[in-house]
Amino acid sequence: MKYQPAHTIGGRGSAPDQFARALRGVALDGAGRLYAVGDSAVKVFDADDALARQWPTDRPGECVAVDRSGRVWVGEREQVEIFDSQGGLTDTWRDPGQLGLVTAIGFAGSDVFLADATARWVRRYDQGGRLLNNIGDRHRKGGFHIPNGVVDFAVDDEGILHVANPGMHRVERYSPDGTLLGRFGRFDGRDPEGFPGCCNPTNLTVDDQGRVIVSEKAGPRVKVYDPEGQLLEVVADDVFDPTAKNMDLVVDSRGRIFVADTATLEIRVFEPTGSEATA
Amino acid sequence: MSKTHTRREVLGHAARGTALAGLGGLTGLLWLKANATFAWSINAQRCINSRLGAVGVDVCERCSTECVLALSAVRAVNEFKSCGRCYVCPAYFKITSAVGPDGLPTEKVCPRDAIKREAIGWIDPDDPANNFYDYTIDETLCNGCGRCVLECKEPAGLGSIRLEVRHDTCLDCNRCAIAQACPEDAFDRPEPA
Repeated sequence: MKYQPAHTIGGRGSAPDQFARALRGVALDGAGRLYAVGDSAVKVFDADDALARQWPTDRPGECVAVDRSGRVWVGEREQVEIFDSQGGLTDTWRDPGQLGLVTAIGFAGSDVFLADATARWVRRYDQGGRLLNNIGDRHRKGGFHIPNGVVDFAVDDEGILHVANPGMHRVERYSPDGTLLGRFGRFDGRDPEGFPGCCNPTNLTVDDQGRVIVSEKAGPRVKVYDPEGQLLEVVADDVFDPTAKNMDLVVDSRGRIFVADTATLEIRVFEPTGSEATA
Repeated sequence: MSKTHTRREVLGHAARGTALAGLGGLTGLLWLKANATFAWSINAQRCINSRLGAVGVDVCERCSTECVLALSAVRAVNEFKSCGRCYVCPAYFKITSAVGPDGLPTEKVCPRDAIKREAIGWIDPDDPANNFYDYTIDETLCNGCGRCVLECKEPAGLGSIRLEVRHDTCLDCNRCAIAQACPEDAFDRPEPA
């Protein structure tokens, strides 16, 4: 499958559909609306990329996710804010002394998973906010090795967590109880099959076919791997600002990949080309 | 037989002591201003090797090539509290070099092999990627070329390595050759505040 850059959304600026200082997280809901956080606001873009609505957050958003009920979860420092689909605040989760910088959020069944970049683990909670267990805390490095400062993960349709472990140049798969199920990845600064630099991939997402889509820093690029960890495609390696890092990304049901360029504050959209475009 | 002092004598001694202490303090301050702050230093925000945002630039090695000393007075310094202790450090390994059978790059960044890499803590013998590593700079070998500084810079690294002037070897020349050659005016000698 090949991809081509389609268009961009947002960008640095003071207009309502732009980002003033930061763009850190993107997510999609079931209707294909795009959610983005960074400055202390959630911005929602409709299918035509027009800004549909926005609302403020208590602290700068580090990540965003939308659950099956349409609730919007925003990860922040030491808390998660939960909004209804219109932006009304319904709850705030805090776990004093436990929850640190929340850099990714995911769901599976009744579980809520929060990536805690302070602890360097993924925390598993029930819907009531009760901590069930941690994922990655048994790693002998004390957690995921994240010199880049964020923990990112995605949950596939079977409820398996795919976690980026950039300091080890790997993607690791975990069951919700924290059992390591498998991994792929190796260092390589030349062969795009491998992960380059000190610490990649920094971010990832999983599509409905189990393909793992990753972003890297220095130099920033996006790649697609099959569920077994074989490289399928380099989506883009020359379109991002060279200083961009920790580029969050999300994929929709049409295979389009939305990538948050953290330097230009643009959401870059890549769409598949050819006969597989709607696979 | 003990000597008695008048109140006037006691007050006089106290006043002289206070004046001497104040004079000593003032002298110390002046000495510090003259000798501690009025020295050549490197502004990391100006140096092209460490300045954030300067990505894809060639390394500047003038700190190593221009100093009048045979081995420059400039050294690379790794600030450990900021170091990621990575398995593959881009300041240590030339990360675009071919990968060897051990899964690591086959070439190093430092032309003088001045950086030492050592696994720390409990060592996992089966999975080297599962260890943290300390990167220590041997100052008897480092000549301040700045290559590791450039490679450690964000976003490739964490920017924990910077260049510093070693004042125990710096001759403190009035017309410093490095300062004159520095294209970024990063090598300067700020006036005492």
